[in-house]
Amino acid sequence: MSQSPADKISAAVGLRGDAEKVGGSLPPLLAEAERLAMTVAFGVHGRRRAGIGESFWQYRRAMPGDVMTAVDWRRSGRSDTLYIREKEWEAAQTVSIWADDAQSMDYRGERAPRTKRERAQLLALALAVLLVKAGERVSLLGTDAAQPRTGETQLRRIAMALADQRDGRPDYGAPPRARFAASGKAVFLSDFMGTREDVFPALAHAAERNVSGCYMQIVDDTEETFPFDGRTIFRSIGGSVEFETDRARALRDAYQSRLAERRAALRAATRATGWQFTVHHTSESPRKALLWLYMAIGGQA
Amino acid sequence: MLSFAGISFLVPWLLAGLVLLPVLWWLLRAVPPAPARRAFPGVRLLLGLQDPERMPERTPWWLLALRIGALGAAIVAFAEPVLNPEARSDSNRPLLVLFDGGWASAPDWAARTARAEVALESAARDGRPAAVMSLSAPLPGDARLAFRDAADWVTRLPGIAPQPWAPDRDGFADWLDGAEGADSFDTLWLSDGLASDADAAFIEALGAAGDVTVVRAPAAALALGAPRFADGAIRTDVLRSVTGAAPSVEVNAIGPDPLGIERILGSTRDVFDMEDGASKEVALDLPVELRNRVSRLVIGDGRSAGAVALSDDGLKRRKVGLLAGGDAGEAQRLVDPLHYLRSALETSADLIEAPLSDLLATAPDVIILADVGTIAATEAEALLAWVEKGGMLVRFAGPRLAASGEGQLEEDPLLPVRLRAGGRTVGGAMSWGAPKALREFADTSPFFGLTPPEEVSVTSQVMAQPDPSLPERVMAALEDGTPLVTGRSQGDGRVVLFHVTANAEWSSLPLSGLFVDMLERLAVSARVARPAADELEGQTWSPVAVMDGFGTLGDPGLLSGVDGARLIEERPSAEMPPGIYEASGRRVAVNLFREGDSIAPLADLPADFVQEGMTVAPETPFKPWLLTAALLLLAIDILATLWLSGRLRGPRLASSGTAAALILAAGLSATMPAPARAQSDQDDALALYATTETVLAYVVTGDARVDSASEAGLSGLSRVLNRRTAIEPVEPVAVNLETDELAFFPFLYWPVSEVQQIPSEAAYARLNQYLRSGGMILFDTRDANLGGRLGAGTANGRMLQRLAAKLDIPPLEPAPEDHVLTRTFYLLQDFPGRFSTGDIWVEAAPEVETIEGMPFRNLNDGVTPVVIGANDWAAAWAMDAQGNPMFPVGRGSAGAQQREMAFRFGVNLIMHVMTGNYKSDQVHVPALLERLGN
Repeated sequence: MSQSPADKISAAVGLRGDAEKVGGSLPPLLAEAERLAMTVAFGVHGRRRAGIGESFWQYRRAMPGDVMTAVDWRRSGRSDTLYIREKEWEAAQTVSIWADDAQSMDYRGERAPRTKRERAQLLALALAVLLVKAGERVSLLGTDAAQPRTGETQLRRIAMALADQRDGRPDYGAPPRARFAASGKAVFLSDFMGTREDVFPALAHAAERNVSGCYMQIVDDTEETFPFDGRTIFRSIGGSVEFETDRARALRDAYQSRLAERRAALRAATRATGWQFTVHHTSESPRKALLWLYMAIGGQA
Repeated sequence: MLSFAGISFLVPWLLAGLVLLPVLWWLLRAVPPAPARRAFPGVRLLLGLQDPERMPERTPWWLLALRIGALGAAIVAFAEPVLNPEARSDSNRPLLVLFDGGWASAPDWAARTARAEVALESAARDGRPAAVMSLSAPLPGDARLAFRDAADWVTRLPGIAPQPWAPDRDGFADWLDGAEGADSFDTLWLSDGLASDADAAFIEALGAAGDVTVVRAPAAALALGAPRFADGAIRTDVLRSVTGAAPSVEVNAIGPDPLGIERILGSTRDVFDMEDGASKEVALDLPVELRNRVSRLVIGDGRSAGAVALSDDGLKRRKVGLLAGGDAGEAQRLVDPLHYLRSALETSADLIEAPLSDLLATAPDVIILADVGTIAATEAEALLAWVEKGGMLVRFAGPRLAASGEGQLEEDPLLPVRLRAGGRTVGGAMSWGAPKALREFADTSPFFGLTPPEEVSVTSQVMAQPDPSLPERVMAALEDGTPLVTGRSQGDGRVVLFHVTANAEWSSLPLSGLFVDMLERLAVSARVARPAADELEGQTWSPVAVMDGFGTLGDPGLLSGVDGARLIEERPSAEMPPGIYEASGRRVAVNLFREGDSIAPLADLPADFVQEGMTVAPETPFKPWLLTAALLLLAIDILATLWLSGRLRGPRLASSGTAAALILAAGLSATMPAPARAQSDQDDALALYATTETVLAYVVTGDARVDSASEAGLSGLSRVLNRRTAIEPVEPVAVNLETDELAFFPFLYWPVSEVQQIPSEAAYARLNQYLRSGGMILFDTRDANLGGRLGAGTANGRMLQRLAAKLDIPPLEPAPEDHVLTRTFYLLQDFPGRFSTGDIWVEAAPEVETIEGMPFRNLNDGVTPVVIGANDWAAAWAMDAQGNPMFPVGRGSAGAQQREMAFRFGVNLIMHVMTGNYKSDQVHVPALLERLGN
């Protein structure tokens, strides 16, 4: 097959562009995510019960019906009874991560260090790093890396997907109605500020696929405290929604009760489906959030 | 020009813009402040919420008021309002500014000149010519009003000063009549508000010429009459131009204290009551010691010649000690030797009668010995000492003096002339002659001008021994030429002898009025009343001190003397200003006012004279203030608007403010005390280092290159000294002249650099102290290659001159061939450094004594305090850490030789510093030994 020189050049230019993209935006994110992940203990997490696996779980007395080959003769030689050496059941899980990339996530309060989206990307990638190191299969929903895989390649693919600035992002995001792997885990990182009609059915859809998991609502401090005053026109980031008030200060209590209401609804949804829910502020350390996420998907079940 | 309440608008039509304010009010009310736009993801949660509080849709009233105030201020500002606008006259006649200029103008003279300046400046703007005249100054010779450019006069105003006499309005009116240019002018008359004799003609003359504006003094004039002594107190009259109740007046008596410093010696305060007239007597009762010192009386702080009354001998009450040779007994009062003296003096002097030793203890001004013969030796000594210190001894003859033989064989210092033994009696029953009358007083006599009365006759007297000095000692003589009164100076004092008795025994002199006058002329007694004109007539009285218009006594300068009669008869004038006049030891004060004088306010002026106050309120434009106010209001409006729309939030401001305060406080606390401690520790370390070892030091110039060369040079020299001599210096020290103590260093190397700051006065004080206490400074201008020598005009040479200008440097000379520097360690011929051309200068030897054929420099033990050269020694000495030279010196082996010589000079120099002139003595050892051996 012969390529014209022009094609070669354009291919090279495209490759160069990709490489620069990878080299430019990925390594910091990946590096930061890895550094964050390093702070959390990693490793293939056992199922905490006997099964197919490599690590020793327990010795148990041989019972009638056990095959002879299963007897651990070295242990049995030290006593009168026969012992079977059981191994822990280890199985790779599928974890689907969804990091909301809607425009509302681009918001950053005056004193916040990062936007909500950056925080979501960091947490998603750090979690992915942890999971890949643990041998799990990870997928990033709603992107090119939606197919659950494991290994460094998948990690890089996720990083690329996270760094990608997709066009036509919606004003508010909702979990995609993806095909979840059965009995997999799901992690949704979003601010869940969209309409009830968008957000809750998507959550229910995931639960219906027999997937368990957790929601993490990432909010900015200003979204929590509502420190505004005076005559103000509030506008969503994408500009799709506008609201004008004469005195913002007077609306603080009403806003905070609405926010609490939304969280209560989210919590109710998680209770019904056995999921978990937490709130993460961008002003807090991401490590705490990562630890919580890791425990939420790996700590039990 | 629109004006009301003293405020005028220069651009009044702009005020029409104020009509816009209500429109603005309506506009602003209709438009609420713009809302803030804010991106916020949580907006979806807000949807459907109702505002619980309605923000006032319209601008709040106070914000409206603020904005309208700002705009209104701006509009009014551009209409240019002015407070106290100057009244612009529409007259185009020339302006005559007329100062009364007398003593009564002095207290507010500055205000008067300011007022005149305003008028002149105004005239200059209107292009009117002007003239300025003072009624108290002598009138110009040519009868012409000198009108010229008004601005020209403004510069001359400070040259006009008030005079210490009353203005001469009458004379001016006469002068003006027929003067050129006097037919048409406007007048600004700065009046002192006091009436004079011929005001009517004056006022008429001014009124006839044009418009007259009269400026009157704000306060009533106060003056002080001549002081007099009566009933044991100094009395004077406070004169004023108004009657009735008035604020109290303080009269101070001022005179020198024992140290000669002028002080307020006494003070009295008097209140004018309703019924008081234009004159009120005040009395100052002072002890005699204070009273005699009073030089003048002053109202308050006396800022005019009228408020100062000078005192003269009339107030001086002398302390007179009386001592008689024998007591006549109580019964015979009229033959008591002291009776007539007492009667003559008791009203005008303080009399003391006591034994001589007690008399002297009271320090009298005059001692009168009436017929005292022999005085004990110790008492005579004390009396003579008193006379020589300025006392006045007046002696009267009498039988005892005649019998004692005092002063007959030799001149007695306590008698003015030698006396002949015995005396003479004329006109008695046993003698031929008639009693002698007095001769006219000679014009050299202090009694000149007195008329001896016919009836005075002398029957007995002691006679003076004729000798060459007698005629000049005679103060009064009889018809036949025999002396009646003789006197001479003794030390600072005087000795006077009346050749008759002090009672009526020998002559009728004590019975006559002449006796009192003579005592007064001798300054024995003070005058009681003001002297009459004929008493002073004939003598020329020269001014000692004269007063200016402000009542300040000053030097009379070239004023000529005045005949005595005029002092009494005439009023003070330019030829005879008020002051102190002196003739033959007596002083008369010429005061502005005499007893019975009064001052009266100016009569009513014609109705068409404009009367004004003294102060002209300066024109004050309001524009800048109003514009500033408008800008401030707008700034406040910005803040208020931000606050209203919620964009101005407290916490950020507060937190940043606290943070700044904290940082500032922390910074201050961190920087303040620590360096001080470090400094003192450092000082101690330096002092210890410099005192425990021998240390060479150099002055830090601030030029890093020069300083490092100095350090390396002294370090190299120290190394050489260590190796070759018993002086073992440690590493050199840099000395900062401003901060470091110099006393520790025997030697300072001071390279001259243009960069150096001239040291402070304190540093020079330390340097001079250092030089005086045996330190040595080697000044090195380092420019011998540029022709630098002492006094050369190179840059460093000039710098050296500036540096050394304040140093206490003795006379210098080029180091002579046999200077001790040439032989303190090595024998040297010259003193090369990096350059070898320049001389070095050292303290000049006072003299060269040649002993045994050898010049012997008898310098004091001190080392020459300075050595000045230009050879850049430090560069020649400089060594790096390995001992290699750092700067090239010369070329080849000659260069090495020169460097070696430079080191030898350094060694010699330091040896000289350390050993003084020891080597100078050693030069002579061979000669001394040789002499001993012989």
